[in-house]
Amino acid sequence: MTNVLKLMITAALLATTANVAMAGGAKIFVVGGKADDPFWSIVKRGAEDAGKVVGAEGGKVVWLAPQNYDNLGVDAAELIRQAIDQKADAIVAPDWVPAAMDPAFKAVKAAGIPFIVYNAGGIQAADRLGAMNYVGAVDYRAGVAAGDYLGKAGHKNGVCVNSLPGAANIEDYCKGFAEGISKAGGKSDVLPLPATAEGNVTAVAQAVRAYLLQHADVDAIMATANLDAVGIVQGVAQAGKAGKAHLCGINFDQAILAQISAGTQDCAIDQQGYQQGFYAVSILNGYVNYGLSIPTREILTGPGIVDNSNIKSTMVGAKEGTR
Amino acid sequence: MTAGAGRSSGIGSLARRPEVGSLVGLIVTYVFFAILGGQVFLGAPGWSSWLNTAAEVGIISLPVGLLMIAGELDISVGSVLPASSLTVAIISGRYGLPIYLGIAGALCVGLAVGFLNGLLVSRTRIPSLIITIGTMFAVMGLTLGFTILIAGSTGVFIVPDPLTKSLLGAALGGMFQVGIFWWAGFCAVIYFLLHVSHWGNWIFALGGDRESARNAGIPTQRLTIQLYMLSGFAAAFVGVIQVVTFGSAQVAAGSSFIFNSIMCVVIGGVLLTGGAGSVIGIVLGTMTFAIVNQGIFFSGLDPNFGSIIIGALLLAAVLSNDTFRAMALSYAAKKQ
Amino acid sequence: MDMISAFVRRPAAASVLSLIGVLAFYVIFGGVDLGRLAAAASWLNFAANLGIVALPVGLLMIAGEIDISIGAMIPAGSMTTAILSGYYGLPIWMGMAGALALGVVVGLVNGLLAVRTNVPTLIITLGTLVGMQGVVLSASVLLTGNASVEVMAPDWAKFAFGHLIAGSHQVIIVWWLLLTALFAFVVHQTRYGNWIFAMGGDKNSARNAGIPTRRLTIVLFVLSATCAAFVGMCQAIQFNSAQVSGGMSYIFNVIVSVVVGGVLLKGGFGSVFGIFFGSLTFAVVSQGIYFTSIDRNWSNLIIGVMLLIAVAMNETFRRMAIAYAPKKRTAV
Repeated sequence: MTNVLKLMITAALLATTANVAMAGGAKIFVVGGKADDPFWSIVKRGAEDAGKVVGAEGGKVVWLAPQNYDNLGVDAAELIRQAIDQKADAIVAPDWVPAAMDPAFKAVKAAGIPFIVYNAGGIQAADRLGAMNYVGAVDYRAGVAAGDYLGKAGHKNGVCVNSLPGAANIEDYCKGFAEGISKAGGKSDVLPLPATAEGNVTAVAQAVRAYLLQHADVDAIMATANLDAVGIVQGVAQAGKAGKAHLCGINFDQAILAQISAGTQDCAIDQQGYQQGFYAVSILNGYVNYGLSIPTREILTGPGIVDNSNIKSTMVGAKEGTR
Repeated sequence: MTAGAGRSSGIGSLARRPEVGSLVGLIVTYVFFAILGGQVFLGAPGWSSWLNTAAEVGIISLPVGLLMIAGELDISVGSVLPASSLTVAIISGRYGLPIYLGIAGALCVGLAVGFLNGLLVSRTRIPSLIITIGTMFAVMGLTLGFTILIAGSTGVFIVPDPLTKSLLGAALGGMFQVGIFWWAGFCAVIYFLLHVSHWGNWIFALGGDRESARNAGIPTQRLTIQLYMLSGFAAAFVGVIQVVTFGSAQVAAGSSFIFNSIMCVVIGGVLLTGGAGSVIGIVLGTMTFAIVNQGIFFSGLDPNFGSIIIGALLLAAVLSNDTFRAMALSYAAKKQ
Repeated sequence: MDMISAFVRRPAAASVLSLIGVLAFYVIFGGVDLGRLAAAASWLNFAANLGIVALPVGLLMIAGEIDISIGAMIPAGSMTTAILSGYYGLPIWMGMAGALALGVVVGLVNGLLAVRTNVPTLIITLGTLVGMQGVVLSASVLLTGNASVEVMAPDWAKFAFGHLIAGSHQVIIVWWLLLTALFAFVVHQTRYGNWIFAMGGDKNSARNAGIPTRRLTIVLFVLSATCAAFVGMCQAIQFNSAQVSGGMSYIFNVIVSVVVGGVLLKGGFGSVFGIFFGSLTFAVVSQGIYFTSIDRNWSNLIIGVMLLIAVAMNETFRRMAIAYAPKKRTAV
């Protein structure tokens, strides 16, 4: 019993001293999407890579994320407040749901903590809340880019597949898609999937197939999640619409790039999540330690379009988990 | 479970089987969606659409149903599925080893989680609902942690070789996925296990009363472990099918299978309290569930109403099962 | 020794010890600063939102039933408030009344189905869960065209239901404490509590003993749906917005809190204080990881392992407690 006790006491002491040694640099808290989200794991990777510099200068990067997207605005607002509670030196957070999260951002401002808005909200949010910069694409504009791309290519009858109805970021993709395709002279609809289809790529494939069979003139589809894009390609093929229904998706990974190469997917919208995490953390680290800043307040990382014409260079990054 | 009296009228005894309720439910549901969905739903595209969905949830529903007959639940199937998909993708995609090794690894993951579940449920007095919630969280965490550690991202990509793809991931005529035949095979095996072999009697006994079953000499601990290993295997198998079919595996997958499989089993007439149920019932329940899920997209209904219809169906199906069972039990008494 | 044995025999004991164990784990292996953790509001806010729903669900479990439709009732409550008072601009008390009324209605449906049929409540509430998910999604999209709605509540509503005390602690914590005290009084000091325990022990015997089991079941279901809607309503007022969601995570969180709190899944055993500490423990497990430098990727693993350990501890202490009592008598 005494040996175990000694071991526990030593461990506790080591833990506390470890904390003390870190007290030199900047403690940067980053609020992001859930850890098993393909896009957000790339953002986290960018933040962590920038965190290597932060750590070398004696600080650390702490990643805060909700468990799921059931209550996005509320959970994110709570995480921002938690960062304040933990005496953050700097905070990075997205403005997904302004109504819910603006008060939390205002609390950050009132506490005198420098912060950057990233990923959602745009420069308008940064201006309204008094953030240093805005780094990122805007989900809405990513949807617009997809709708625009497909509409301009002549596919004017669109549907946006939403496998997570309710989450603000996914809803923005679909709304943006509607605007993008209508500006190019087309129209669009939304296909929401019931909760019984969550996390099931076969259900997405079969739902899209059924939808295409019943709506024969749909020729533009938008995918809002990585696995959905893979499922939709199968659904399109099984509905006999391969080559007639064109797909554009948000984000990409190796599977999606393979689809673009093979011609079964037309494009993917690149928000360069890695850059969002990397630059937001780097800018704040420079500011906290040395008072540096970037006067160009809006730093857009997207939306970029990846299609057959520029796919080669992205494949390396996708393999590494940075794109 | 078959009523002793009543052999005289064939139809009568047939009507008193517990699966009749599920069959009626299936027919009513199909007719309803056929009317709404029209030609397309009635044809091969419609049939293959819901059969494809049914196959995957069906493979998992079978052992989940067995567990429920034995009086237990398994919530961890939702996290074993992505764990198995990722195992295949990492072993054979990322590391380039032959795919049969990846598949073997994935199935072992399912068996291992099942073994752990069975061990914990049979050795402790903690209810299986809680144990499997715990293992579900634990497997979710391990899956995410290891995937990011090994692959650097939440999803892994794989290009299966043509033989494997044709065995596990192809679609006949571009419509009917091979998984349907695997499901049929599973059904046959589970039917044999539950209704023909003595093992099935043990499961019913376990569901009736665990203590009595134990006292009667049934190796309840071993049986529980075997059942959980079976459900882990089934979840892993569906994970393998999905990754071979789609070529991509993601960490955030599988959660809907937890309640979907329970719904299929319950619509199929399995009692939650254990001790009653049949494979045919589970299959009918799975088909009904798949028809509703897919039928919504074929009908002109707003897909936003989808969940309402599914919830209403579940309640209607369960209530009608309840009524049929009460009728069946009271009918037999009347004859005496 | 006397006090300790008396303490250990209480159902809440194991959950208190679980809480201490969880805190110890995070301090030793996660390097958490206890002072900072105590001052932080995040886990208390989380515990309050969870705890208010865990109380009636826990009572239902003591009575031998279960309610998983709360997963959809929380977003239903917040969406009702937001749609009525935010989108349609009705006065906030109408939005609040609407949310609570919806809770009562769904609770009645659950309760009536539970007492009138033989269908297990897990299945009934699974049906209402899926159904309500659809109702919330459809209502939101059809009425407002959006899956999330904003609402700005007037000051008095914000003060009562949705403001931050000292800028960090949600006022719902006060409601949680009040409700815990109220439930504890009713369950442990009045006959209604005895009735609930009796129902959990054996429903038929309870009925034969003259306990109005049907009415009590319906009341409990109405309570759980309404409390869930209440939590949703407070969130809408506090955060000025509501969104559609599946709510699956709430279900698992509540069940885990209740079971860690010492309530037996088959009914007949448990306590309100146990549920209270169970909610606290789950909140610390789930939110405490943010105070450590452990990689978030492992957070679910930690939750799963801690759950299993906490429940195992509960089992051990409960058996020790039952075995402990007889020893004392022989000593006298």
